[in-house]
Amino acid sequence: MKSLLQLYLQQFKTTFATMFQYRASLVIWMIGQVLEPLVYLIVWSTVSNGNGGSIGTYTTGAFAAYFIILMLVNQFTYTWVMFDYEYRIREGYLSFALLKPVHPIHSDIADNIMSKTITLPILTVIAIGLAFAFHARLNVTPWLAVLFIPGLLLAFALRFLLEWTLAQCAFWTTRVSAINQIYFFLLLFLSGQIAPLSLLPRAVQIAAKVLPFYWTIGFPTELLLGKITVTGALIGLGVQIIWVAIAVFLVRVVWRLGVKAYAAVGQ
Amino acid sequence: MSYFRLVRVFFRVNLVGEVAYRINFFINLFQSILGLGTALLGMAIIFSFTGSLGGWLPNEILALVGVYVMIGGIIRFTIQPGMEQLIESVRDGTFDFMLTKPEDAQLMASINRFGIWEIINICLGFALLLIALVRLGGNIGGLAALEFVAMLLTGAVIIYSFFLTLATLAFWLVRVENILTIFQSMYEAGRWPVSLYPAWLRYGLTFVIPVAFATTVPVEALTNRLNGVTLLVAFGLAVILALVSRAFWKIGLKHYSGTSA
Amino acid sequence: MAGRNPGKPDSLSPPAKLRAAGPVVKIQGLSKTYTVNEQEAGAKATIRAIFHRQKTEVPAVDDITFSMMPGEIVGFLGPNGAGKTTTLKMLSGLLYPTRGNATVMGHVPWKREKTFLRQITLVMGQRNQLVWDIAPIHSFELNRVIYRIPLEDYRRILKELTELLELGPLLVKPVRNLSLGERMKCEIAAALLHRPQVVFLDEPTIGLDVTMQRRIRSFIAEYNKRFGATVLMTSHYMADVAALCRRVVVIHHGHLLFDGELALLLQKFTSHKTISIQLGECQADLNAYGEVLSCEDGRYTLRVPKAETARITERLLADLPVVDLLVEDPPIEEVIDRAFTEWNP
Repeated sequence: MKSLLQLYLQQFKTTFATMFQYRASLVIWMIGQVLEPLVYLIVWSTVSNGNGGSIGTYTTGAFAAYFIILMLVNQFTYTWVMFDYEYRIREGYLSFALLKPVHPIHSDIADNIMSKTITLPILTVIAIGLAFAFHARLNVTPWLAVLFIPGLLLAFALRFLLEWTLAQCAFWTTRVSAINQIYFFLLLFLSGQIAPLSLLPRAVQIAAKVLPFYWTIGFPTELLLGKITVTGALIGLGVQIIWVAIAVFLVRVVWRLGVKAYAAVGQ
Repeated sequence: MSYFRLVRVFFRVNLVGEVAYRINFFINLFQSILGLGTALLGMAIIFSFTGSLGGWLPNEILALVGVYVMIGGIIRFTIQPGMEQLIESVRDGTFDFMLTKPEDAQLMASINRFGIWEIINICLGFALLLIALVRLGGNIGGLAALEFVAMLLTGAVIIYSFFLTLATLAFWLVRVENILTIFQSMYEAGRWPVSLYPAWLRYGLTFVIPVAFATTVPVEALTNRLNGVTLLVAFGLAVILALVSRAFWKIGLKHYSGTSA
Repeated sequence: MAGRNPGKPDSLSPPAKLRAAGPVVKIQGLSKTYTVNEQEAGAKATIRAIFHRQKTEVPAVDDITFSMMPGEIVGFLGPNGAGKTTTLKMLSGLLYPTRGNATVMGHVPWKREKTFLRQITLVMGQRNQLVWDIAPIHSFELNRVIYRIPLEDYRRILKELTELLELGPLLVKPVRNLSLGERMKCEIAAALLHRPQVVFLDEPTIGLDVTMQRRIRSFIAEYNKRFGATVLMTSHYMADVAALCRRVVVIHHGHLLFDGELALLLQKFTSHKTISIQLGECQADLNAYGEVLSCEDGRYTLRVPKAETARITERLLADLPVVDLLVEDPPIEEVIDRAFTEWNP
C-alpha cells in the first residue's frame, strides 16, 4: 500500500512537469471547457426569460446555477484516456506498461487527479465570476450539500472506471473515434449536459436513470442544486454504488481480455 | 492556371490515401450523421419549450446549423489541415522542402493537405441549409441571397487569414502545436446565433476568434437581419486581415530563412 | 564495488543460490504463429473482404529450444523478420506462444507475475519508455517507485550508470530535446535502475552513429561484468555481436540455425577465404586463380574456396610479381549471410 502511495506521488510530479510544458494548450483547452456549458446556459436563459422567467422547475437563475455547477462537476469527473489509448498501443507505450510490475490504471488515476488539482481551482474562480455575471440562484439544502460530497466522489469513480473500460476498445479496433463519439453522444444527452434531465421526455429520463450516464454528472449536480429529495438522494447514492461495483467488474474483465488479445498478436 | 492544377494534384493524392479502404467512408458517414444528429436533437429539445429563440425561428436556426456544419466542414476540409501540416513541418524541418519548390510557399502550405471526409459534412450541411430555406417558404430575396454568398466568401477570407496568422506564429514559437484548437473550441458557440450572447462574448467571437463571420453573419444576411454596417465591417475586416496576414507571413518566412542556416 | 560497507547485506548482487540453480532461461519447442488478414487491392476484393476474411498463418517462431546460464551474454542473430523480436517479446511476457514453453528465472513469462516483472527488463531500440516532454530524471524517479528500489540503492546505481553512460547533462533536458544516441543512453539507464537479473535488448544500437554504438557496447560489457546480469541481445550489426557475445544463437525464418560459439559459427559456415595481393597495377586478369572481388591501386581482393587456399597462394606467388599477400577470413556479415542462404528448411 505504501509503495502504491509513493507511486501516486511520483506520478503527480511527472504529470505536473508535463502539464507545465503544455501550459498554453491547457489554457486553450480550459476555454473550451467553459464555453460549452456557458453556451447552453445562455440558450436556456434566453428560453426561460422568453417564457416568463422559468421552464419547469428551473428559473433563469436556477439554469445559470445548474450549468455552472455542471461545468465544475464535469471537470471533476471527466477523463481522457479513451483518446490516448489507441496511440499508446500503436506507439508501443502499452508494451512498456505491460512490462512494469504495476497495473497501468494507477498512473492514469494519478495523472487524472493531478491534472484536476491544477485546473479545478482555476475553473472554480471562473465559475464564481460567471455566477455573478449571470445572476445564478442557488438554494442549497444542508443535507443535500453534505450528500453532494459522496455523490461527487462516486460519480468520479464511476465515470473513470467506465471510460477506462471504454478506452480498452482500442485493443480490438482502430475505429476508436467512432466508438468514443457514440459514447459522448449518449453522455451528452443522458447526463444532463444539454438540459436538466427533468426537462427531457419521460422515457429519456427513465433510460438515463437506468444507464450509468446520469449518475456521473447529472445526479451530483442536482444534489447541490437541491433538486432531489433526501430520500431520493440516498437511493441515488445506492444506485451509484451498484454501478461502481459493476464498473469495477467490467474494468477487470475487459482489461484481462484486452491483454490476452494483445498478447496473442503483439501489436 | 497552374494554381488549379496544383490544387487538383494535391487533392488527388490525399484522396487516394484515404479511399483505399471503403469502410472508411461508412465510418465517416456514420460519424458525420451522429454529429449532425447531436446538433438537431439539441435544437429539438430547446424548441419543445419555445417558439422562437432570441427572435430566431426554428427554421432560421436550422439554416444556421446547416451553415455551421457546412462551414465547419469546409474549414476542416481545406484550411485547417494545411495549416496544421505547416506548423508541423516548421517544427520538424520538412518545411524546407516546401521552400525549395518553385511555387509560392503560402499557397503550397495552404493546399497540400485535405480532410477528405469532410466532404460528407459539407454535403450534409448544405442539404440541411436547403431544407431550412425551403421550409422558410422562399422569402429569400435575390439581394439577401447575394449578401449571403458575399458574407460566406468574406467569412472564408477572414477565417483563412486568422488561421494563417496563428500558423505563422510557428516561425517564432516552436511549440504552437495545439494553437489551432482554439478555433475548434470557440466554433462550438457558432451553432447558436451570436446575438444571444452577452456583449463581451459577442465581441470575442467576432473580433478575437472570428466565429461569428463563419456562421451567424451569413445567415443573418439570408434572414434579412443584416444591416449595412455589419456588411461593410465584414468586407473591411476581410481586406485588412488578408493583407496583414500575408505581410505577417512574409515576415515569418524571412525570420525562418534567416535563422535556419 | 568500492566504498560499500562490508557488513551490510549486499542487496545488489544476485543471490548466490541463483547462480548454482542451473539455466536462468530455458526455452523448449517455443513457437509463435500469427494469423494475418489478407488485404487485396481492388474494389471487388475490398467488398469481398467485408463478408469473408481470408486469413493466412505466418509462422514467426518455429520450435526454438535453447538455454542460457546466469551471467551469459548471448547474441541473437538473424535477418529482419527472422523472429528475434517475437522471441524476446515472448520471453518478457508480452506475447503468448502458440506452442512450447519457456521459463525465465523459474517463472513462466506470459503469466506476468509481479515478482517476474521486477527482475527483467526489455530495451527496444528506437522505442521510448521515457516520458517525452520532461527530463529523463523524472522517468527514472518513476521507475524507482514502480520497482520499489530502496533510495540508497537507487542513488548508487544512478551514480554508476551516469558515470558509465556519461549521462550528466542529459538528465535534466526534456527527452524530446535529446539526440537519438542520448535518448538511447537514457533509455538503457532507465531500464537498468532496478538491477534486473535478466536483460533483453532488442536492437539497442540501431540508428546510432558508430561512436555511440561502441560506447553502448562497452557499457553492456561493463554492466555484465559488474552485475552479472544475463543478457540476451538481438542485433543485425555484426560488430555488436562480435564485440560482446561469445555465444550466438542464429535464427532464420523462425528456425534455430545455430547455437554455439561465434568462432565455431564462423568456422562452420566459412567455405571461402579472402586473398589480398599487392601487384604493381590493376592490369592483369586474375580470374583464373579465383573470383576477383575488387582491385585498387594494384591491390587485388580474391575470393577462393577454403580448401584451395594453400594451392592458389602457391601459384600466385610463383606466377606473379607479388609485393604483398594476405589471407583473411571473409567478413562476418558474409559468413552469416551464407548461413542464412544455405539453410534449407
